[in-house]
Amino acid sequence: MSDIDDVPVPEDDLDGHTMEELAEYLDRGRSPRDPAIEGSASCRLALSNMERLRELSLGALQYRADAEPDRETDWVDRLLATIRAEVRPGRDVPVPHPDPRLRLSMTEAAVRGLVRRTGDTMGGVVMGSCTLDGELGDPGAPVHVRVTAGLVYGAPAEETADRLRVRIAAALARHTTLTVASVDVVFDDVYLP
Amino acid sequence: MDHDDPLLRAEDATLVVRAAEADVRAFEVLARRHGPVMRLYAEQMLGSNVESDDVVQDSFLTGWRRLSDLNDPARFRPWMMQIVTRKALDRLRRRRHHDDVDTVQHQADVARQPERIVETRMQLDAMWTALDRLPADQRRCWLLRETAGYSYQQIADELELPVSTVRGLLARARRFLTVEMEAWR
Repeated sequence: MSDIDDVPVPEDDLDGHTMEELAEYLDRGRSPRDPAIEGSASCRLALSNMERLRELSLGALQYRADAEPDRETDWVDRLLATIRAEVRPGRDVPVPHPDPRLRLSMTEAAVRGLVRRTGDTMGGVVMGSCTLDGELGDPGAPVHVRVTAGLVYGAPAEETADRLRVRIAAALARHTTLTVASVDVVFDDVYLP
Repeated sequence: MDHDDPLLRAEDATLVVRAAEADVRAFEVLARRHGPVMRLYAEQMLGSNVESDDVVQDSFLTGWRRLSDLNDPARFRPWMMQIVTRKALDRLRRRRHHDDVDTVQHQADVARQPERIVETRMQLDAMWTALDRLPADQRRCWLLRETAGYSYQQIADELELPVSTVRGLLARARRFLTVEMEAWR
């Protein structure tokens, strides 16, 4: 760092205001309105320039990122490998098997994954969260399933919810021994097809 | 990744909710969606694309582990931006304390040459080139201020510089960028 950086740079004429002050004012969303700043033509000009450069800075990064979408993404693969290794499995859920001597189970995380996949592959919805309430490890105990999902624009909500409920219940019956007491579906979003 | 995957069209908020419930695929979509811009940002902050991969990978890992701290899932991107900023600043601090300040070469690829602007007349391309031409210390201050939203004082603390220096660097950066972008007004 050279010494020259410590020499104060003369501000343009801002009617007694500093750039720093204006920057903070802009950060606050120009609110509460400061009449002294808003009443100064040079301040307003500086603010609009500041705003423009800020938008351009973010825009330029995004533009560049979009312009080179195929740049290598090895880092994503490395990231995912690490993440997969540390997923918390959650509780054990019994899995049916014709041989009663065999006790199989899958993890709660895997069951949630199954529920999400069941919804995602149905069409018309994008699954959100999935909660399993009840004694999962205890075959026969009632389990309440609650899911949130986004509904494709224009789809009938009630009918889609019914279809989703049936599909989820069927998938859980096929792959687990859970006694599904209820499947609640909440649409919390609408998306365009 | 499958192109018919409904997750590709899902909002950030939906993906965050799913990722918080250990849906790795949802997080993968988030990483691929926002990773590239974070990577460029880190690259511009550090003046190196060697380290930017590590910084972004590390940042997304932190993001994954702390997803439950994110109160508003729709704010994933600015939240990640803060994490990337912090990681990049850590790198800079380490570098500073190893006395090799700014010795890493900033790679200017062909696409960033000024001739390209003339051809494309793209304002954002021009802005990119302008940012790229800023001296490293000015660019760093600028990005911290305008992209990460740090205050002058925070920038001074993070870069271990006097506030007066930060003020000067920002003023110079602003002046340079204003002049560079004058033609696109």
